[in-house]
Amino acid sequence: MLFSPRSSCWKAFRTRRECGRLLARSNSSFTSNHFAQLASRPTSLHQIYQSVSNDPYVNLSIEHFLLEHAPPESAILFLYVNNPCVVIGRNQNPWLETNLQKLHNDRDRVGNDTNDEDAVFVRRRSGGGAVFHDAGNLNYSVISPRTSFTRNKHAEMMVRALHRVGATNTNINDRHDIVMSSINGATPRKISGSAFKLTRFRALHHGTCLLDSPNIDRLWSFLRSPAQAYIKAKGVESVRSPVANVSSAMEDALAPFSNQVVIANVMEEFARLYQTNPDAVRRAQRAYAAEPELYAGEDWVAGAVGDLEASRVPEIKMGLDELTSLEWKYTQTPQFTFSTFPIEEDPRERPALPSSLPTSVRSTRIFLRLKHGAIIESYISTSDEPTLAAEQASRVHEALNGRKLHELQLQQWTDILVNQLSPDEEPEAIQELARFIGSQFGCS
Amino acid sequence: MSAATRIVRPFASRALPQKLPLSSVRRISPAAGFPRGSIRSFSQSPFLEVKKYTESHEWIELADDGKTARIGITKYAAKSLGDVVYVELPVKELEVGAGEPVGAVESVKSASDVLSPVSGTVVQGNAILEDKAKFINESPEDEAWIAEIEVSDAAELDGLLDEAAYKATIDDE
Repeated sequence: MLFSPRSSCWKAFRTRRECGRLLARSNSSFTSNHFAQLASRPTSLHQIYQSVSNDPYVNLSIEHFLLEHAPPESAILFLYVNNPCVVIGRNQNPWLETNLQKLHNDRDRVGNDTNDEDAVFVRRRSGGGAVFHDAGNLNYSVISPRTSFTRNKHAEMMVRALHRVGATNTNINDRHDIVMSSINGATPRKISGSAFKLTRFRALHHGTCLLDSPNIDRLWSFLRSPAQAYIKAKGVESVRSPVANVSSAMEDALAPFSNQVVIANVMEEFARLYQTNPDAVRRAQRAYAAEPELYAGEDWVAGAVGDLEASRVPEIKMGLDELTSLEWKYTQTPQFTFSTFPIEEDPRERPALPSSLPTSVRSTRIFLRLKHGAIIESYISTSDEPTLAAEQASRVHEALNGRKLHELQLQQWTDILVNQLSPDEEPEAIQELARFIGSQFGCS
Repeated sequence: MSAATRIVRPFASRALPQKLPLSSVRRISPAAGFPRGSIRSFSQSPFLEVKKYTESHEWIELADDGKTARIGITKYAAKSLGDVVYVELPVKELEVGAGEPVGAVESVKSASDVLSPVSGTVVQGNAILEDKAKFINESPEDEAWIAEIEVSDAAELDGLLDEAAYKATIDDE
């Protein structure tokens, strides 16, 4: 039986042996229907994909599928570019690591004033710190056997690819980041950050690479929380580094610099590292330009993947649902406190409360302790008289206890504070107080 | 001593003591043992006091009652992960199957799941690790256990690696 590409290869996948034999004959093209089967085929030892989706949730979910389902001995390269988003590490705190006010608010169920153009907030499954993505940032991801994995192996692969396109002033620092040195001897600037996820047999290394981000001068503003002075969090804190675009060092380059040129070179370097069949590289490099499809040889798969795979493959869909859930995004947060006054576990001096607050509530004290994103302890009072303050705090706590912080928007804060404090304070003052609290947590 | 022995001995000491989890060799003394206060008697079946390992570098030790067990990561794993910065502890009453996550650790930007070697129900996570994740690097096979579970069927432990078999898997790597 001769294999006819694209027509009825479904049956060919019913037995692995048959599938392997058929594919061995040709370098065949497939529709995206076959992504899951091809990726998990035991003989698919080399896989190179570029995503045609710019949805960060979709790309992270395809990546997670490859981590969990590709054969244990395989090496996989997956490249993608996301729409603007802030991605925090698995064990980070969104209220501390991001400026939620500047990001799309998915916590407000009624909210319809949020702009679809807004950058989204994403929590990934790997460790590490918070990063910003946009169309000028290339994400690379290499999934390989855990036994032969080192943390610098694939950052070095990226550096070799960058050298090939002319960015010869790039190298790796001791945090496994890629930095770019400048001619005038100034501090090297970070162009790429890495994070890892390890499973029983597999290691995933993914990283950003700021090729030509149009937001380079303002991306810090997405990564700065208004509540920094008040929040003390367990878990992982980001290490802030000055950043630069690779393109900034290439202004005099002869060859035109583009994402796609870098992508082609990353594929070449991956293939050199893992001795991948040149056919796979050729197919992978062309797949993006032509109609998205997949190609497979005896021991490789290459091509373009995207939203179609995410909607068709149940395992990817499941991962996508988890990643987009508010539980994962917000309640996975490690324990933290928010306090407007020094406390034993966070004795820092605090800034004065904003002058927008009426004088009657200037002695306000706000303390919250949160576990799994829910309030387990609180002390909110406006009175400077200790007995009255304690009574207020106890009334407010009754309403706050157990509430999930991401479910409290400005309306909820206002209602709770008005209900519990109104005998003591003017409604306008309480509303102003709610606005202050809301601004600290990115409420709308 | 000749040059030959100088070359050989460091190799031997590298291959053995560092990879061999020492605490698994010595038996826990009854006083410091687990659960607290229980005194081991000779009439008890030795199979109730087992410590077993997985290929993914977890250990599990069954208590004298034959029902509860503590789970952690091996010295080898703790060393290869580097400085642990955060430990995700399981919530009480979480039901886990063998090979399912019962926690996770993060070190040097790497998240790794801690898989339960057997099925069971979580009794508690080790609260010490909430404030001191680095404890995992100091005492991975002892006080820095990650989860305590009630095992569904103690016989599941029979299918796991014993110390010698586990040691063989890490020598291969």
